[in-house]
Amino acid sequence: MHSKDVPEMLNFLSLKDIGDLFSDIPPDVRVDGINIPAGISEEKLLDEASAIASLNRLPSISFLGKGAYRRFIPSVVDHVSSIPQFQTAYTPYQAEISQGMLQALFEYQSVISDLTGMDMTNSSMYDGPTAAGEAARMAYRCSEGDTFLVPDIIDRNVLSVIQNYLHGLPVKITSYMVDRKTGKIDLADLASKVDRNVFGIFAGIPNALGILDDNVFRIQEIKGNAMLVTYYDPISLGAVKPPGEYGTDIAVAEGQQLGIHLAMGGPYLGLFSFRKEYVRKSPGRLIGKTTDSDGNPAYVMTLQTREQHIRRDRAMSNICTNQALMAISALSYLSAMGSKGLRSVSAATLKNSRKLIDALEKTGAGKYPFNAIPFSDVLFKMHLSSSDLAARLGESGISGGIPARDLITFPEEGYHFFSVTELTGDEEIEALAHALGGATR
Amino acid sequence: MSFHQARYPERLVKEYSSDNSSFIEYTEIPEWFPDSMRRGSLNLPQIAEYDVVRHFTRLSEMNYSVDTGVYPLGSCTMKFNPKYADRIASIQEFSEVHPLSGEDNMQGSLRIMYELQEMLKSISQMDEVSLQPPAGAQGEFTGIMIIRKFFEVNGEGSIRNEILIPDSAHGTNPASSAMGGFKTVEIPSNGDGMVDLGALESALSERTAALMITNPNTLGIFDSQISEIARMVHSAGGFLYYDGANFNAILGKTAPGKMGFDITHFNLHKTFATPHGGGGPGAGPVGVVKKLKDFLPVPIVRKNMERYFLDSSLKNTIGKVAGFYGNFGILLRAWAYIRRNGSDGLCEITERAVLNTNYLAGKLSQKYRIPYAKIKKHEVVVSSEGTGKRALDIAKYLLDQGLHPPTIYFPLIVKEALMIEMTETVSREDLDLYAESMLKALEVSESEISEMPRNTAVRRVDEVKAARDQILRW
Ligand SMILES: Cc1ncc(COP(=O)(O)O)c(C=O)c1O
Repeated sequence: MHSKDVPEMLNFLSLKDIGDLFSDIPPDVRVDGINIPAGISEEKLLDEASAIASLNRLPSISFLGKGAYRRFIPSVVDHVSSIPQFQTAYTPYQAEISQGMLQALFEYQSVISDLTGMDMTNSSMYDGPTAAGEAARMAYRCSEGDTFLVPDIIDRNVLSVIQNYLHGLPVKITSYMVDRKTGKIDLADLASKVDRNVFGIFAGIPNALGILDDNVFRIQEIKGNAMLVTYYDPISLGAVKPPGEYGTDIAVAEGQQLGIHLAMGGPYLGLFSFRKEYVRKSPGRLIGKTTDSDGNPAYVMTLQTREQHIRRDRAMSNICTNQALMAISALSYLSAMGSKGLRSVSAATLKNSRKLIDALEKTGAGKYPFNAIPFSDVLFKMHLSSSDLAARLGESGISGGIPARDLITFPEEGYHFFSVTELTGDEEIEALAHALGGATR
Repeated sequence: MSFHQARYPERLVKEYSSDNSSFIEYTEIPEWFPDSMRRGSLNLPQIAEYDVVRHFTRLSEMNYSVDTGVYPLGSCTMKFNPKYADRIASIQEFSEVHPLSGEDNMQGSLRIMYELQEMLKSISQMDEVSLQPPAGAQGEFTGIMIIRKFFEVNGEGSIRNEILIPDSAHGTNPASSAMGGFKTVEIPSNGDGMVDLGALESALSERTAALMITNPNTLGIFDSQISEIARMVHSAGGFLYYDGANFNAILGKTAPGKMGFDITHFNLHKTFATPHGGGGPGAGPVGVVKKLKDFLPVPIVRKNMERYFLDSSLKNTIGKVAGFYGNFGILLRAWAYIRRNGSDGLCEITERAVLNTNYLAGKLSQKYRIPYAKIKKHEVVVSSEGTGKRALDIAKYLLDQGLHPPTIYFPLIVKEALMIEMTETVSREDLDLYAESMLKALEVSESEISEMPRNTAVRRVDEVKAARDQILRW
C-alpha cells in the first residue's frame, strides 16, 4: 500500500481522519495504544531471535520420549510441508480452487486407515491426547452407559485431557488394573468391571509403561457393548498388529513421529480413525471423493452436518481449525519411507529397546522390572537415588531418566524412563551405561 | 488474458511405485519378536523422492493460497504470513527441543513463551494468559471449563448451567459451550445488528454462567452497548467471554479487559499472521481476569530473577487441554510478528485493515445491500438478495477470475450473505479489482454463471454425491 492511498481512500469514504473509522467505539472503552515495546527491523528481529534460541541447549545425547520422539525426518518431508500453497491456504471451503489440499488430505485419510487397519480416518485432530478426549466422547455417542474405563496406570496429560473432554457429560471415569509384575492389563479385573453401563474402554499399546501389551488384543472378547478405544504408536505399526485387527472401534494416536519436528511440544498431530458404521457420530473434518460437473474425479469436504458451523450446539465436536499441515507431513513421511522404511524404523526401535535393557542391566545401575517387550519408552527400576541419577546424567550431558511418577499415574519411587528410537546409536547406549556404571548398591 | 489454474489428472499417491527406500538402513524385525504380535501385510505407498516432490508440487499448483493472492474469507483473517516468522521457527535450537528437556535446557523457548504471555496480557488487558490451547475453538472450550470449575468451586455448579450466545455467533461458540456441558441460549440481534438488550435482560438469570460474544461481531459491527452488556451480565452473576477471532479490528483501539470481559481467547493464526496450513495448525491462548487466574490450564511460564520456569501449582487448575504447552511453533511465529510490529505497528495494522474493508464496502454499496450500520470494522457482510444472484453464484464467478471468494452463507442471520474480510495486506489496486469483479458478477447471465467455474482445476463439485457415496479413502 502506498502512503498516498490512505488520504484518497478516506476521501472516497468522505472521512477526514483514519480515527473516524473508530468513532463507533465509545470513549469509555477506548484505549490509547498498547503497552508493548516499539517494533524493530527484520534484521534486528532475526538477531534477537537467534540470541534467544541460543539459550536453549540441545542435548548431545538424548533418551527423551514419552509422547514426543526424535526420529529421522527425510528432507523431502520438510520440503513438502513448506510448499507455500499448502502452508498459506486455509480450510478448503471452496473445493474447486482447493483440489490440491483436498486430494492430499484424502490421501492422508487413506494412508492412516491402511496403517491402522481401520475403515476411516478424519483429516486431523490437534494432538494425541485431544484425539483421545474426542474418542471418549465419540464412544459415549456410539454406545450406551455412563462409565468410561481407563487403566489405573495412564499418562497424566492424557488422563487430564480425557477428564476435561468428558466433564460436560453425565458420565464417570473408572479405572481397571494393570498388573504390576507383567506391566500388562489384568484381564480378570477388566472383565469384572465391564457391564452394561460401560460405554468405552481405553487401552494403550504401547501402554503408559511403554509396554507392547498383547492383552489389548483380547479386550474384544470381554468388551460387551463397550467401544474399544485404542491409543497406539504409529511407528510401532511397522511391526505390531494394527488396531483394526483386534476389534478396535476408535483408534487414536499422537502422530508427531510421522515426520514432525519436536518444537517443544507442538504443533503435533492427532490421528483419529474409526469403524465406518460410526461415521456420522465422528468428530472433525472429512474429505470425500466425488465428481465435478464434467464427470472428472474431484474431492470435497463432506458430511459437514456433523460439524460446528452447521450443527452448532449439537455438533459432534467444536473443532474448526485443525492440524492439516501436519497431516501433509505425515502423508509425505509415510509415502517416502514406504512399508520397508516404516518396518525398518519399527524394527530398529525394538532392537534398540532391547539393547538398552541389556546394557543398563549389565552395569547394575537398574533393572527392567517387567516381563514384557517395550517399544521406545523403557521404564527402569533404578538402584540409584533420583538425585544421584540426575547428577550423573548431567555430568555426561545426557538427557533422559525422567521419573515415572512425574509423567504417569504410577506413584512408585525409583522408576525412570529412558527412551530410544531408530536414531539411538550403540555409542549413545554405551555412553549411558558408562555414566551409570559402577553404581551398584 | 484470463486466469487459469493448473489442471493435472494427478494420480493418487499410492498409484506411484518404487521399491526403493533408502532413507534409512534396512533392518529386519528381530526374530525374538513374537508371531502373535506381528503385523502381517503393510501396504504403504512407496515412492521415489523425485515422485514425492512432483506429486505434491502438482497438487500444490491446484491449490489457492494467501501467497497466491487475495483471500478475503470473512472471520478467518487471511493476512499475509511474513517469511521472517518461518525462518525463526526453523532455527534448530527452537525446532528440535524436546518438550521434556527440562527448564534449564529450554530457557530460550520459555522466554519466548513468557514474553508472548506478557504481550498478550498488554494487548487484551487481561491479568494472566495460558498459551496451551491449540486453536481458537479449544481456547473457547478452555474458557468454558474455567467457568464451569469456578462455579463448581463456589457451590453454584449445578445451578449456573446456561451460556448465552448471540445469533450472529460463530458455530464454535455454541459447540464449545455444549461440550462443556452447558445449555446454550440464543440471544437475537436487534435492528442494528447488535445484541438486543431487552432479550438479553430476559434471558439473564441465576442460571446464567456466561455471555459469549465477539466485539466487533461477525457482522463487522462494533457493539457500542458493550459497557451496559457487561454491567448486566455481571450483575446477574455471570461472566463475559470474549471470542477474540476479531482482534484485528481493535488492536490499540480498545481491549477486552477495558470493555469488561473476564475471559478472552486469541486466534494467533488470524490476528498475528501465522500460516493457516491449509486448515491448521493454529493457536488459541486464553487470558483471564484476576479472579480466574487460579483456574487456568497448567503449566504457566513464570520468571524468577532471570530464570524462566514452568509453574503447575495453580490451586484450582482445570488441568490440561492439550498434551504439552501448546503449539509452540505457532506461538513463536506470533511472538516474532508482535515483536517486529510493536505497539505502533499493531495499531496501524488495525487502522489499515478497517480502512480496506470500509473502502471495499463503499465500492460494493453501489449494487449490494449492506445491512446495518455504516461504519464496519475489519469485515463487512454484504447480501446479494434482490440482485437476482445467489451468494454461491458470485463465489463461482470470482473463482473464475482467480480470486478467492468471501465466506458465504455466514452469519446465518443475513440472507445470501457474503462475508468479506480484506485485512491490511491488500493493495488498493487489488481492492479495486476485487470490487470490480464482485460488481461484474451481477451482470453475468444466469446461464453463463451456471457453467462456472471453468478456469479452476475442477468444475463445479458434486457435494451431494460425496455425502451419499461416503468415499473417504482409496
Ligand atoms: C468468530 C470466530 N470464532 C471462533 C473461531 C474458531 O477458531 P479456530 O478455528 O481457531 O478454532 C473462528 C474461526 O474460524 C471464528 O471466526
